[in-house]
Amino acid sequence: MITEPQAINIDQDKGNFQMPEKHAFDAGVGINEGVLDYISDVKNEEQWIRDFRKNALRTFYNKPLPTHWASKDLETINFDKIRYYLASGQTPKRSWDDVPDDIKETFDRLGIPENERKFLAGVEAQFDSEAAYSNIKEAVGKQGVIFMGSTEALMKHPEIFRKWFGKVIPTGDNKFSALNSAAFSGGSFIYIPPGVKVSHPLQAYFRINAENFGQFERTLIIADEGSEVTYMEGCTAPKFDTATLHSAVVELVALKGAKIEYITVQNWSANVFNLVTKRAIAHEEATVKWIDCNIGSRLTMKYPGVILKGRKARGEVLSIALANDGQHQDTGAKMIHAADETTSNIIAKSISVGSGRSTYRGMVHMPKHLKGCKNNTECDALLINSSSRTDTYPSITVRGNKNSVQHEASVSKVSAEQIFYMQQRGLTEGEAMSLSVNGFVNDLTRQFPMEYSVELKRLIDMEMEGSVG
Amino acid sequence: MKAKAFEAFQSLPMPTRKNENWRFANISSLSLDEYDFTRSEKPTDLQELIEKSDIISQPSGQIIFADNHPVSMEPINDDLKAKGVIWEPLSEALQNHSEILKKYFMSQDPHLGSEKFAALHSSFVSDGYLLYVPKGITIERPFIANHWALSEKTALFPHTLVIAEESSNVTLIDTFNAKSESQKNFICAFNHIFAAANATVTYRSLQNWGTKTLGIHINSIITEKDATVNSLSVNLGCQHLRSENQSVLKGEGSHIEMLSLSVADNDQEIDQRTLQLHQSPHTTSNLLYKNALLKKSKTIFSGLIKVAKEAQKTDAYQTNRNLLLSEEAEANALPGLEIKADDVKCSHGATTGNMDKDQLFYMLARGIKPHKARELLVFGFFEEIILKLSDNELADYMRELIQTKLQSK
Amino acid sequence: MSQLEIKNLNVSIGEKSILNDFSLAVPKGEVHALMGPNGTGKSTLAKALAGHPDYTVNSGEALLDGQSILDLEPDEISRLGLFLAFQYPNEIPGVSIANFIRAAVQARLGEDDDFVATEYYKNLYQQMDLLKIDRTFTSRSVNEGFSGGEKKRCEILQLAMLNPSYAILDETDSGLDIDALKVVAHGVNTLKGENLGILLITHYQRLLDYIIPDKVHVMWDGRIVKSGGKELALELEAKGYDWVKELATANAC
Repeated sequence: MITEPQAINIDQDKGNFQMPEKHAFDAGVGINEGVLDYISDVKNEEQWIRDFRKNALRTFYNKPLPTHWASKDLETINFDKIRYYLASGQTPKRSWDDVPDDIKETFDRLGIPENERKFLAGVEAQFDSEAAYSNIKEAVGKQGVIFMGSTEALMKHPEIFRKWFGKVIPTGDNKFSALNSAAFSGGSFIYIPPGVKVSHPLQAYFRINAENFGQFERTLIIADEGSEVTYMEGCTAPKFDTATLHSAVVELVALKGAKIEYITVQNWSANVFNLVTKRAIAHEEATVKWIDCNIGSRLTMKYPGVILKGRKARGEVLSIALANDGQHQDTGAKMIHAADETTSNIIAKSISVGSGRSTYRGMVHMPKHLKGCKNNTECDALLINSSSRTDTYPSITVRGNKNSVQHEASVSKVSAEQIFYMQQRGLTEGEAMSLSVNGFVNDLTRQFPMEYSVELKRLIDMEMEGSVG
Repeated sequence: MKAKAFEAFQSLPMPTRKNENWRFANISSLSLDEYDFTRSEKPTDLQELIEKSDIISQPSGQIIFADNHPVSMEPINDDLKAKGVIWEPLSEALQNHSEILKKYFMSQDPHLGSEKFAALHSSFVSDGYLLYVPKGITIERPFIANHWALSEKTALFPHTLVIAEESSNVTLIDTFNAKSESQKNFICAFNHIFAAANATVTYRSLQNWGTKTLGIHINSIITEKDATVNSLSVNLGCQHLRSENQSVLKGEGSHIEMLSLSVADNDQEIDQRTLQLHQSPHTTSNLLYKNALLKKSKTIFSGLIKVAKEAQKTDAYQTNRNLLLSEEAEANALPGLEIKADDVKCSHGATTGNMDKDQLFYMLARGIKPHKARELLVFGFFEEIILKLSDNELADYMRELIQTKLQSK
Repeated sequence: MSQLEIKNLNVSIGEKSILNDFSLAVPKGEVHALMGPNGTGKSTLAKALAGHPDYTVNSGEALLDGQSILDLEPDEISRLGLFLAFQYPNEIPGVSIANFIRAAVQARLGEDDDFVATEYYKNLYQQMDLLKIDRTFTSRSVNEGFSGGEKKRCEILQLAMLNPSYAILDETDSGLDIDALKVVAHGVNTLKGENLGILLITHYQRLLDYIIPDKVHVMWDGRIVKSGGKELALELEAKGYDWVKELATANAC
């Protein structure tokens, strides 16, 4: 007889530790123009950025929360109790030896320097509002690749930065993109020159250490004609009793024939509101692939998108979401077809454990007078416990008779027979469940870079441990 | 009751696109200013209309409505009457069977956004019909009601109320037509079906209002334990059709089938919202909506499968297929799932595209002319649904109407 | 002269050239076999003659009883009298075989001709019996869920019903077991005669044991490299397709 699996809370997360806070720069609690001035002053920003921030703040005030379709949980965020800027300094170190001990210890425990030695072309490590460490391998730098924190890039490469900044995601796209545009700090800036193919991934690691804090990094990646780059980001935070806010804006531009692969493994602690806007523009024959894994956070709302602007551009979103007790993973994808023969592919898999809830929202848009456009969408949801929940809300608009779209979604559970079979072979029920869940996402994770699929499997094993009993 | 309903209508806000239930919809055409809500004279000269209503042979009963009035009535035979079957216009049923109406009339709340129109319907409905089938009675031949819009700009409020008691079995057909093809009317039709334990109800509706009509059709089904309702609707008419179909699977082991086919042309908008609400274990539902779009037409399919925590072992399927036949047509698909039980089989699929190029070539290679080949392919696309009718007379009638629409300029 | 005549035909798909100065004549009343290894352009010839939009004719001529067909629409070519039995017949859900063939027959009627349903069905059932096709097939959707043999028999049924002057049978034998092959061959043998020219495209000599060709052509790299009588098929079978390659090289020198 197989008993009903029970969900148990997991707090053995390896990111769950906090260093004592000692920030040299602190903009205080709440957000207003004074806070924006403080941020601009410490960063020594030009007038146009100051204006940009203040305009964004007004947009933020004017925009309602999107609760007519999104979770009411958003209403529990108290924007006046959040700290918007905390930093030890504005210039990242080039060597781990120079990084302050407590921050270095944090990233050591998370394995970042070790990974850098093993397989990365460059690393940036952000601690609260600013990058503490940023370095790129010499050989990659010599190819003309720029990889640095966005605070630094604004000063060193304003001509490239300003040309693309805020062009993919306008300030007023949504309330949280507006908030980010007002308070942004940190994030990565990457420029790949024409024809350069960066063979190893660039990685950024985002760490929230402080309580009652909001992290608002701003990432901008420009892949010039015919270039290729893979960018990976990871994120963790200690678990606090109060809500933490992470609200990033990520803009990608893939120029003619360029390829960008953007990988996220999000493992925020279960008190983090993770409200992120991510969008790319793909020019002619360019490819943008978002690989988006959401394991942590209290509420994630994130729908990576691609605007397929040039002929034969391709957009892909591969998404895995795991919603454990008390979590809501509200994720999805947007594909805006704006040129002939553009193709897009969305594969989303979600697993709901205990009282976890996973939601898929998708948008596929093909306007008229385009031809030869194709979209394929598959959403599969796996439910582990009887209290788990899943929702799917796609929206597909097709005009004209020269394009085609197909969408499929299914919901299933781990079969009791399957678990029994594996138990009969000597696996514990938890191990069997882990194996099943990993099997469910396997065809997706096989497409990930090896290091990341291993990491993802480890995270899933950890989350599934104790999900049954 | 009517006064109260009108008050409710006036106090409720008009829908806006911000409401998820009206996403993508053309709200501006919902204005009701032009229509005549007060016409009450009984129409005359009905011979032609009665002839055109002769669709199936030997119905168990038939009612013909013209501009809201019952104008012709084929009563049920004495045998059915003796068994307690009720087949009456609402105006009569109100006198004879007020206890049934009190219990069932407008008792299924709309879930899909049309609260305001429910209130409007309640305040203006003047007639309709009641079909009541007592426990254990099986009626072989279908019932049919033909709803006609005769005069321009009249507002019509057709109302269908079906109660099938335990282990009964009944089939009924509603047809909705306008006297002239390009007629303009406002329609606010409600149809409520109750299937008690183990009952089977088969429902067919054929909507072919005038091409300038604003139509709001709200259909609601409730099934008790082990009951089955098979519904199928064909939508051809209206300038702007808002169709809501909600199915509430209340009793364990019940089953609801929801089939629909629509042909949209010119600048027609067909806006369909569906709900499959599974409230009990072992319930099954199957939805298949097919749309063919011509010219500048637009369709919206927004479907939701909702599975309650208690409804384990649910099987629910939802499929929307859109065939785009012109460069200017627009198909929107919003197939949704909300699942709170874990031991379920649920899936949805939506496809949108043009007809298959290779199939078309194969037909041309047999010498079939392009327009005929396309017509055959559109029929092939719909045949999956028409075959489910299992009534040849009705199937042929529907094919003919579809063909007429496909061939019209 | 009554024949299907192809002169110096050059056909490409996209950028890729497939047929290179291909020439062939099939007189009415004769059966010709066109053989050759995979990828040599046999099916391209069939599709291009039938007017498939994916194939571009760059130059050359194709004449049906003297009338050029290269600029015609696929349905016009068909009604003019060229029938193509597809290698992979398409499935058409929801359209029954009876309605499908009926539409094709009706498309061939002149303005004053009346379609007589009883005659049509009589003819249809007769042909079906000949091809050992169960009568229940008429209400099934075209090719949907058919086995390989059923699809090919259905192609021959259409050939029988549409009375073309010329028929191209594109690998109608491939994938059939010996019983199905005999049925198909019997159907073709019954139909052949002085009013029909047949081009059999095949990969295997086996079919020619059952349908005796008047001529055999061997194709390589987009053109015919050798023509001969029915004995050529046996020679080809014995020597294998490598021999064809040698022939092609020899021709080129």
